[in-house]
Amino acid sequence: MAAKGGGAPPTYSPSPSSFKKSRPSIFTDVDWVRPDGRDFHQCRPAFLRTGAVNAASGSAYAEFGNTKVIVSIFGPRESKKAMMYSDTGRLNCNVSYTTFATPVRGQASENKELSSQLHKSLEGAIILDTFPKTTVDVFALVLESGGCDLPVVISCASLALADAGIMMYDLVAAVSVSCLGKNLVIDPVSEEENYQDGSLMITCLPSRNEVTQLTITGEWSTPKIHEAMELCLDACSKLGKIMRSCLKESTSTS
Amino acid sequence: MQERSEEEEMVTPGEILGKGTDLIPGKGAYLSRDNHNTVYASLTGRRSLIPPPPDSPDQRPIVEVIGHKAHGPVPEPGCVVIARVTKVMARMASADIMCVGSKSVREKFSGIIRQQDVRATEIDKVDMHTSFRPGDIVKASVISLGDARAYHLSTAQNELGVVSAESMAGGTMVPISWTEMQCPLTGQIEQRKVAKVGA
Repeated sequence: MAAKGGGAPPTYSPSPSSFKKSRPSIFTDVDWVRPDGRDFHQCRPAFLRTGAVNAASGSAYAEFGNTKVIVSIFGPRESKKAMMYSDTGRLNCNVSYTTFATPVRGQASENKELSSQLHKSLEGAIILDTFPKTTVDVFALVLESGGCDLPVVISCASLALADAGIMMYDLVAAVSVSCLGKNLVIDPVSEEENYQDGSLMITCLPSRNEVTQLTITGEWSTPKIHEAMELCLDACSKLGKIMRSCLKESTSTS
Repeated sequence: MQERSEEEEMVTPGEILGKGTDLIPGKGAYLSRDNHNTVYASLTGRRSLIPPPPDSPDQRPIVEVIGHKAHGPVPEPGCVVIARVTKVMARMASADIMCVGSKSVREKFSGIIRQQDVRATEIDKVDMHTSFRPGDIVKASVISLGDARAYHLSTAQNELGVVSAESMAGGTMVPISWTEMQCPLTGQIEQRKVAKVGA
């Protein structure tokens, strides 16, 4: 983008050197290795626990590599009096970051967007008719943001809902895929997310094979979208199995 | 005589419990909406099978999932609740629901008892101040979900009404009849809509 000639009105144009994001050449190389040594199509090992918060009706803690999230569920409890009457239950989601979650102190600014995305992915899975007139509050706290935050929050939230005894159609598993040049990378780390060309996130109900939310950002070609969706759905079903075994283990030992 | 058989293994939401042709979904299970007609679990817990009564036309056993964690109950129409009266007004009394059945709730729900629901006879001549006072513990039944603010409660049965109340002197009163309670410290008689407790 060359700067305009002297006769043009003085508009702000970014200087040429800062226009192209300087991507490390290793990302465009065909056989580079991911920062944590994983395969392109390999997800991070998941650590999941329920019953982390005693004060809440249900709670769960999830650790996927460096991304650590804790979710607590309160409810079903009385809706605020200002709300209108509804004969189905209501879901209220809130995602917040701790100040020490990112390398630079200070909040990541997409809080409201993450909350509404969490709401959309969970409301398709919860049977709202079973608790009319009441509200279920979901509070998610991201303790450390190591990339791929929203999918981890969604999976952890559905585990917490199952722990709280809220009736659901199925557990919700979420996985996201990043497109880096020609490569598709699953479960990206925050470094990879910064340089991505596009991202695709799917939240699905694994054993019923239904998708509750699909989010695509960036530039994608149609065959790449198909490939990414298949990768995600496959990873979601595996994640679903891990979540179920975690639930069964924690309930049979308690 | 129904015997339920409970299994050792836990099920999680979304797990298949059986086919819709073999089982009826009970509490904690649901029938899928697609045409595969399968019964899935909707709670985390143990599966339990209730055999059908022998004279019903539908001979499928009912499958239920018993939740492992008893999460706080929610008032439903028809259940009996224990509430504490907070405000008494000319035509209604508001109460905080504290227990549903025999389980206590985690956070209180709001309920109101309207003048016409206090007792079954002479409902237009009810004086709210001779039926309840703030601080009384009442046993009531939930008539309906009410409006956005409160559940509608009723004490219009013999076993419903004030269960425990404090007199103006501070002693726990003893019921004398279905309209009166007496303070053991001062002997004063106060008027309440008293519940008939016991045989």
